[in-house]
Amino acid sequence: MADVVKDQEARLLLLPQPSRRPETTARQPAPRRRAPLPVSIHTIWLRPFLDRLAKRIISLGGIAVIASILAMLAFLVMEVAPLFLPATARPIAQTSLAKPPAADEPALIGLDEHRNLAYVIKQDGIVFLELESGRVMPVELPPALQGKRITAMAQSGNPLSGHMVGTADGLVIPIKIAITTVRLESGARAKQPSIAAATPIKLADVPITALAYRAGDHGSGIAAVTESGELALIRLGSESDEHGSEAGLSRVPLPQVQGRLSAVALDAPLLNLYVGTDQGQVHHVRLTTPDRAEWAGAYPAEGTDDAVTQLGFLIGDRSLVVMTRNGSVSTWVQVRDPSQPGGWALRQNHRFGPQRASVTTFSSSQRDKGFVTGDALGAAYLRHATSERTLLQLPGTGAPLVSVALAPKADGLLTYDAGGRLTLYDLHNPHPEVTWGTLFRPVWYEGYDGPAQVWQSSSGSDDFEPKLGLAPLAFGTLKGTCYALLLAIPLAILAALFTSQFMHPSLRAAIKPAIEMMAALPTVVLGFLAGLWLAPLLERLFPALVGMAVVLPTLVLLAAFLWRLCPRSFRHRFHHGAEAFWLIPLLAGGILLCLLGNDAIEQILFQGNFKVWLAQAFGLRYDQRNAVVVGIVMGMAIIPIIYSISEEALSNVPRNLVAGSLALGATRWQTVVHMVLLAASPGIFSAVMIGFGRAIGETMIVLMATGNTPIMEWNWFNGFRTLSANIAVEIPEAPHGGTLYRVLFLAALLLFVVTFAVNTVAEVVRQRLKSRHGHA
Amino acid sequence: MTRAPLKAFWKSGELFVWLTASGVALSLLMIGALLGLIMVKGLGQFWPADILEIRLADGRTLIGQPINSETIPHSTSQAHPDGKRRTRFRVGNQDAFGYDFKWVDADAVVAQAKPFDLTVFNRREWGPLYGRVRALYREAAPVAEGPAAWPALLPLIEQANRLHERIHRIEHDEIGEINRRLESLRLQRQALRLDNRLTDDETTTDLGLQQTMAGLEEEYQRQAATLDSLRRQAGAYEVAVSLSTGQEVRLPLSKVITALRPNEMDWSLKTLTYLGNLWEFLSGEPREANTEGGIFPTIFGTVMMVLIMTVAVMPFGVMAALYLREYARQGPLVQLVRIAVNNLAGVPSIVFGVFGLGFFVYTVGGTVDALFFPEALPNPTYGTGGILWASLTLALLTVPVVIVATEEGLSSVPRDFREGSIALGATKLETIRHVVLPCALPGILTGLILAMARAAGEVAPLMLTGVVKLAPDLPVDGQFPFLHLDRKFMHLGFHIYDVGFQSPNVEAAKPMVYMTTLTLIAVVVLLNLVAVMIRNHLRKRYAASAV
Repeated sequence: MADVVKDQEARLLLLPQPSRRPETTARQPAPRRRAPLPVSIHTIWLRPFLDRLAKRIISLGGIAVIASILAMLAFLVMEVAPLFLPATARPIAQTSLAKPPAADEPALIGLDEHRNLAYVIKQDGIVFLELESGRVMPVELPPALQGKRITAMAQSGNPLSGHMVGTADGLVIPIKIAITTVRLESGARAKQPSIAAATPIKLADVPITALAYRAGDHGSGIAAVTESGELALIRLGSESDEHGSEAGLSRVPLPQVQGRLSAVALDAPLLNLYVGTDQGQVHHVRLTTPDRAEWAGAYPAEGTDDAVTQLGFLIGDRSLVVMTRNGSVSTWVQVRDPSQPGGWALRQNHRFGPQRASVTTFSSSQRDKGFVTGDALGAAYLRHATSERTLLQLPGTGAPLVSVALAPKADGLLTYDAGGRLTLYDLHNPHPEVTWGTLFRPVWYEGYDGPAQVWQSSSGSDDFEPKLGLAPLAFGTLKGTCYALLLAIPLAILAALFTSQFMHPSLRAAIKPAIEMMAALPTVVLGFLAGLWLAPLLERLFPALVGMAVVLPTLVLLAAFLWRLCPRSFRHRFHHGAEAFWLIPLLAGGILLCLLGNDAIEQILFQGNFKVWLAQAFGLRYDQRNAVVVGIVMGMAIIPIIYSISEEALSNVPRNLVAGSLALGATRWQTVVHMVLLAASPGIFSAVMIGFGRAIGETMIVLMATGNTPIMEWNWFNGFRTLSANIAVEIPEAPHGGTLYRVLFLAALLLFVVTFAVNTVAEVVRQRLKSRHGHA
Repeated sequence: MTRAPLKAFWKSGELFVWLTASGVALSLLMIGALLGLIMVKGLGQFWPADILEIRLADGRTLIGQPINSETIPHSTSQAHPDGKRRTRFRVGNQDAFGYDFKWVDADAVVAQAKPFDLTVFNRREWGPLYGRVRALYREAAPVAEGPAAWPALLPLIEQANRLHERIHRIEHDEIGEINRRLESLRLQRQALRLDNRLTDDETTTDLGLQQTMAGLEEEYQRQAATLDSLRRQAGAYEVAVSLSTGQEVRLPLSKVITALRPNEMDWSLKTLTYLGNLWEFLSGEPREANTEGGIFPTIFGTVMMVLIMTVAVMPFGVMAALYLREYARQGPLVQLVRIAVNNLAGVPSIVFGVFGLGFFVYTVGGTVDALFFPEALPNPTYGTGGILWASLTLALLTVPVVIVATEEGLSSVPRDFREGSIALGATKLETIRHVVLPCALPGILTGLILAMARAAGEVAPLMLTGVVKLAPDLPVDGQFPFLHLDRKFMHLGFHIYDVGFQSPNVEAAKPMVYMTTLTLIAVVVLLNLVAVMIRNHLRKRYAASAV
């Protein structure tokens, strides 16, 4: 290595010495001693050609590298953009039933997961249709259904677990519709539909007008409204003995509800029953024990005298969707309310843009918190509860919609209108739950008492509502950054002031690289020390830290005064800047003193136990991995950055200004405060900005030293989760192209933009400072 | 003391000068304390510490090595004004006791001694075992008993280790090779069936492949039989050890790595053992979910990744800098680009990781898989994290460092040199090649080394693009094509995170983590020091000419 360098030096020295050059023409290049360029006829055109080629290649390569930076930004934007693209729907199949439904005749439709086959439960039975061809598949009706007039129908939360129909003669009949896929010999798929019915249950002598049905692990239940206005609830026991046996059947006496009942909904755990009336009321009935039910309140759906036309649940059966005759659609959740009987009250958490006509039908998605509503003008609206968004409006044909159904994979929408037409739409709706609002503003999630900023991207269950609020993460990022800057700014700027102004250049040459070397420390090292060493230590020794805050400045003061008392001859024996070295053992001693006196400090200041004191005095909880730990360690990581840049700015203040100030009689401190600091302030500002940018994106330290809990509290003693740590934790598990994946890309994009902007501001300030002092 | 000097002292501001000095002092203290802590905690662990036998007040005995001691929090009382002390021992025998470490209150200790015959066995599983050697068995028949057992034991352990190595070689290399070839044959057959039918030619090929596979299966059976007999041979010897509880356990020698009696070793022997342990740590494979053994694969992975990154970043970084400094028309636009490049160095590394995951792994890797490895789908070949993607991601992360340093190097080449060269008739390319680049070389090297140091210490982007806690194979080995760019790899920095935070036995892993940390810091600081040296050298050379 050394030899090579020496050789190059030798070559450099050779250049300007013409006497050593071998005989050459003027067109010959600068000589190389070892390998002179060959002189031949080819070089005459080859050399300029090579030169131009090199220029092209280097320019191309250089521009490509620089463009790749832009490309990176573009790629991030491209990955994020689909989040905000609107949903689209395209009709792909339309077919009609031979006999359109009569006015006000109910129907219930559904389709299989491949969107091949649809079924229609209507007054006179059940029909299966191939959507593509419109062919009706012959399926025999079970005997229990034959000859019955179906007046009401309901499906369990998941259509696979069954349907329920109510008849004109007061029967309810559980039925199971199965569509199985068989592989034909040619390799093609074929669908085989079948219907099975269980023993009918006699409910009343009048027709059933509304039904709700839920089947689950805890047994199944039916809620039915009869034409005479009666409400009945039947429990069927567990699913296994549902068919054929009436062993588990029990009728639950229900409290009287006022008004004509128009809609009914029952949740899967069979704990809540909701009934809508034509007076616009939603009544809540709590089914506390298997054979008891109590009325728990009535709520106006929307204005008065506005009949509730439909009630339904979103997946998970926690959000109740209330739809009315004047077209309003809203979702309601239960929240804790001690003033209500039962301690729970129903609250409206989302309201959607109203439809222009009475809402006649409803279907919820099996994949997410989305649902479809259809109205009497034939329009279907695709909506999503979390984002409180109407994703799509499908105008329809004008004939009222009788039933709508979302495909099991939520990739298709089937509508059935009063003209007997079945229309299948291909839905493209990959990210319904994300809007700027859900990302950054409070959202009223299921299970919460009010709008909240929450990040909780996944959970074990399928009916989980993803909570993708970036605000707690942005907050965590700012919190960590603030605590780090709180330590780093004073220390780094003080150190920079001292090294640049009061230190002998020979000392400075040693000290500056030493502090800067700290910037090279991998942050994973700092994070590890923070999490495994400092955090447990600080938990025991926090009082000592408080002690240090008092003891160390006192010691510095004392040292300064003692130094002053020393004879001048003694003081002058040392370089300027030796103060720092005197202080090292002194401060180390002070720190040791505090550590040893930890128990004593805890006794005096915190009544013997800091954590208990904290809880009693402020009601704060002490987490082991907290903001103070992060502040100290991340502070350490950015001290060298702030130090290095501000030191540079401070030393670049022209010496003649300093000399002038000193000559006018100012002390060296006065000079520094009134002159140097002022002149270098833009540089220091940019140093702080760059430190800020660095702290914002720091990943490993916060990943290891905070508990990664996404909470929004300024409390010194609890953890937080930052955008960067969140990406590191969640992106390996996020499915490629999914909503979470793209939201994490958005977080990365945010970090990119913020740090890039902050650094640009800092850089511009620095450049301007440079040019100003260049002129000075 | 009068008030006047105090006031003058205050006004002079000397106090604040001292305050600023405390900034420097505290910063230096922090660095010193940090490095000291890591050194002490890391390097200390390999010292074969004496084993204590302690009798407790409740009649139990305990054998172990003291780890640390502390004052029990909130234990000050009249009798103990300074608080009670307690010591933590590593008592090992985790399989027998259910715990590895134990706190012992100083009060509870009745007596402690260092009998010479206390032995610590380092095992392949379950961590260390402390106890006394009672007897040695071969196929359940005693070979040596009492004091004769120890001298007989040591050569047998050596032999057992040799056997273990052979078994490992057969398992890993020979059987591994057979498995790889089987897998590649399977993929070849899969490739023939990609279009869902076989032509006649393909059917013949397929049959040939099937026959080769059958041959390999046979070979596999043969190796498995050899392996079986070796395993039996390795399991023949057992040593009987009595634990601190009096319970006697039989330990197969195939599970023992070393057996030591630190209490009868003198310091020279201990030093030797210490160095041996250190070497073992640096060159060995990890064991026990990375909490024991060595870190060689992580060092190798880190170096490999940095090298691939360097190969990628060097030409592009230098090219971009050459363009910016030598070819582009200097103006506000270039200045803007320069600022942008500069700022890119300040963009958080996790952002690069996200980009690497989305672009390299999913987009590029997915395309490569679809084009060149369709037979292996849906198992990804390049469409998942790997050393190539991790290196490229880091190359993108460090390219600004190289650009900035190279530009600095280029701009420090005096103008006269260029003008001289051009005046002598050289083309621009020749000037750059023969004059500018050689002069700027130290600057470029500085940038490159700084980039390498930065890359060696980065962890966050790697977590998304291909680092794993335990890679079965190194990215380079004897298998064709020798360099496996699609493989996942281990990394020093990620090892720290993984072992320190994801390990089942964090307490036992802590010394390992400190040592890994020390290794990482050594690598990074070394690289930085080299960069600083080159930079200083560069400054000196041009100090005179640059003016």
